[in-house]
Amino acid sequence: MGLRSYVITRIILTIPTLLLLLTAVFVMMRVLPGDPVALHFEKKATPETMEQMRHLLGLDKPLWAQYADYIGGIVDIGYLLQHGYPNLGKSMQTTTEDVGGQIFSAFPATLELAIYSMIIASVIGILLGVAASKAYNSVWDHLIRGFGIVTYAIPVFFLGIILQLVFGVYLGWFRTGLRISPTVQPPAHITGLYTIDSLLEGNLMKFVESFKSLLLPSLTLGIILSGVFIRLTRTNMLETFRLEFVTAAKARGLKESTVTFGYALRNAFLPILTMVGLQFALLLGGAILTETTFSWPGLGRYIVDRINFRDYTAIQGAVVMFGLFVTLVSLVVDILYAYLDPRIRL
Amino acid sequence: MSGKTEIAIVGLVLIVIILSSGTMYYATTAINNISTLSDQVTSLQSALESKFASLETTLVVGTTDSVELTLDPAQAYDYFGWNIMQQVGDTLVSVSPGSSTGADFVPDLATSWNSSSDLATWDFNLRTGVKMADGVEMNATHVKYSFDRAIALEPSIPEGAPAGLGYDQIINRTDVLGTYKIRFVLNFPFSPFLGIIACRASAIVDPKYAPMAQVNYTAGDARASTPLAFVGPYVLSKWDRVAGRDMEIKIDANPDYWNTPSGYPKTKHIIFKFYSDATALRLAISAGDVDMAFRQISANDILDLQTNPNVKVWYGSGSFIQYFCFQTKLGFPFNDVRARVAIIAALNRSAVTQTVFLGLAKPLYSIIPPGMLGHTEAFETLGDANYTLTKSLLNQLGYNEDHKFEFQLWYESSGHYPQSAEQALLYKQALEGSGVISVTLKNADWASYKLNRDNEIMDAYMYGWYPDYVDPDDYSFLYWGAWLHTNYSNATQVALYDQARATTNVTLRAELYAEIDDMAVQQCSVAPLYVSGAWAVTKPSVFGIYLDITQDMRYWLISK
Repeated sequence: MGLRSYVITRIILTIPTLLLLLTAVFVMMRVLPGDPVALHFEKKATPETMEQMRHLLGLDKPLWAQYADYIGGIVDIGYLLQHGYPNLGKSMQTTTEDVGGQIFSAFPATLELAIYSMIIASVIGILLGVAASKAYNSVWDHLIRGFGIVTYAIPVFFLGIILQLVFGVYLGWFRTGLRISPTVQPPAHITGLYTIDSLLEGNLMKFVESFKSLLLPSLTLGIILSGVFIRLTRTNMLETFRLEFVTAAKARGLKESTVTFGYALRNAFLPILTMVGLQFALLLGGAILTETTFSWPGLGRYIVDRINFRDYTAIQGAVVMFGLFVTLVSLVVDILYAYLDPRIRL
Repeated sequence: MSGKTEIAIVGLVLIVIILSSGTMYYATTAINNISTLSDQVTSLQSALESKFASLETTLVVGTTDSVELTLDPAQAYDYFGWNIMQQVGDTLVSVSPGSSTGADFVPDLATSWNSSSDLATWDFNLRTGVKMADGVEMNATHVKYSFDRAIALEPSIPEGAPAGLGYDQIINRTDVLGTYKIRFVLNFPFSPFLGIIACRASAIVDPKYAPMAQVNYTAGDARASTPLAFVGPYVLSKWDRVAGRDMEIKIDANPDYWNTPSGYPKTKHIIFKFYSDATALRLAISAGDVDMAFRQISANDILDLQTNPNVKVWYGSGSFIQYFCFQTKLGFPFNDVRARVAIIAALNRSAVTQTVFLGLAKPLYSIIPPGMLGHTEAFETLGDANYTLTKSLLNQLGYNEDHKFEFQLWYESSGHYPQSAEQALLYKQALEGSGVISVTLKNADWASYKLNRDNEIMDAYMYGWYPDYVDPDDYSFLYWGAWLHTNYSNATQVALYDQARATTNVTLRAELYAEIDDMAVQQCSVAPLYVSGAWAVTKPSVFGIYLDITQDMRYWLISK
């Protein structure tokens, strides 16, 4: 099968996966106990008002009609083009805010954090993993493995607070929270990623200010995630080093770095790539603890907030979007995998 | 391919270097010093200069609060929404800053007022020269419009403040007596009326910004992103929400504010930044990221910050209270009043205020907080950890050390009330210290907690109250509040309450509330636990903070 056919087949296969996901989320939200309309009111609510609210949220319709509205909203291309996000209904807490709008307003913050964290995690994890494999069974190997275990085991909020105290409170180098200095106007919204938008705006000060806010949460998450990559890289590199083609490459007198990075790492990279993709997809769903620790206004905090408010449409929308992210990232990883390893297309 | 891989690795290493803290820090510092980057540096320097100039007149406030839904006085009913409305809106009268009773009313948009002897008619003489945002001078028709609108919108917004406070039940009509004179005709004599008039739901609105049949300035509404100006010290110039939660609010001095000639507001620009929790807020004020942290920093952190020379901690009285509620309906253990009294007698309030709140809250023995008219120490007659009384009452019900009185104590677990789990644990310890009680602690997040309350399935539960207006009238009724679902009612207490509402005789009012308290001690359907203190943390250069019983933060009085 050619790469194009493989990609098309994978894309087609995502459709029933997504439909299954959407249906499962819809059913789960309906079978949960509790009346979201009753929760909307603190004190005075007449049955008429409750009925009005039920009508406003479309909860007075039969289940099949609600399902049709729900699926119809998500695939409403006109709405998507007009608003820039899919129609996921109105928030049950405010009744005036679009869930799609809420999610997409939080998404750039999460995306920015996810990108920088993954860069840090990948670089630290892969380089240290390679180094550990090269120094197999030496003191360095043990130290790096120890570092990997500690970083994987350490709670995010604990590491986050330590970094905040050291670099934010005592040294004052970086901000302890938020996306940019409180007194600096955020850059004009182009991508929603402050570091990119400030550069596109040509404003170095805003770039520095946004970077000073971004670094500590990214570093926290990156260090935590690097543990997985260290262990995965080390294990795969050790296995690859034992293969004959590596021995052959060395025998041909190739440079050590060429053998390590050009031959061994490339072959060991496939499982790492899968892990990078899956972790990245998870991060797109929001790094709840990191976002809370650093007051980062992303999807993680959004989901926690909505759960506390029992905002069923918002939770439903967030789960759908999260499912979409995972599906799309998995698709991209599969395609990359197929590109890197043609045997997969066979 | 190996070459590409190496390039990729080198690229990644470079990115890490760029990301590294030291590089960025020194790069930031260096940018200011390198003269050869003339254009970039010039623009950067001018931006920094203007930033520093504006910083002198800008106060950055950090908080964990968020506007719940709207900034429209006809709907908003949350602390922070009201707090922002107080900065951009104004009321006819207000409570004097620093008030210890909440009853020291001072002129605001009204310069004077009087009531009929039966307290059912109230006249207000309005201040002249007060400009609305569009330049129109405020007059009595604006006041009438504001209250007519609030009442008209009540049926469609049952969760709004005017509906919650019962404006439609209290106010019969408003009459314009002249350009600058307005009359309120009430449905019944109502002595706390000035308290109602001073609360945020009574802010005077500009018809241009607040249409009669529509709530304005609601999250998600496109108009919410446009500047909001009523007649207050500030104009709302920015309200950014991300994912249904506030991200930034900015208010700027209202150039048409009537009290500008007196030098208010003292700080021209205020920026509110929103932190996820108390720890994040505490770190932000410690690092100097914000000038002021207000709501909510934990008691632990406050005591710690006291010794930090880079910040100043401000203390004040509070009016937030928490109280015990009992499910009194048939079939529940607290259907018998003796069981309720036995439990309240066994409580140890001081242990909670000292251990959980580290002395920043005070034990409360009346549903009315100290300082306010009608406050008593009525529940003190039952004592704290008074196990003799507890055992005696429970023995009458057939319970003893071998056959303990068992019940479930519920608390809210999602942070709606401060440190509920710690409180509940100490109450359990105190109760079980009697030797005749066995407590099972149960918890639920706020949404489920409310549902449980409405479904009346909790034996005993802790609840809290922020006053809408600072008057015993807004506390005393908690003993039988229907929405608490305790299934307790007492016609005598209600009659006393109505009598207190209808008299201006302060002594008589105090006696009536004291009588209600005394009856509450006998019945113990609801029992007070503690009253919170209030605190804020600022940089040492910030002045003018009043933390009084109103719980209002008057930002226009703050200077930096």
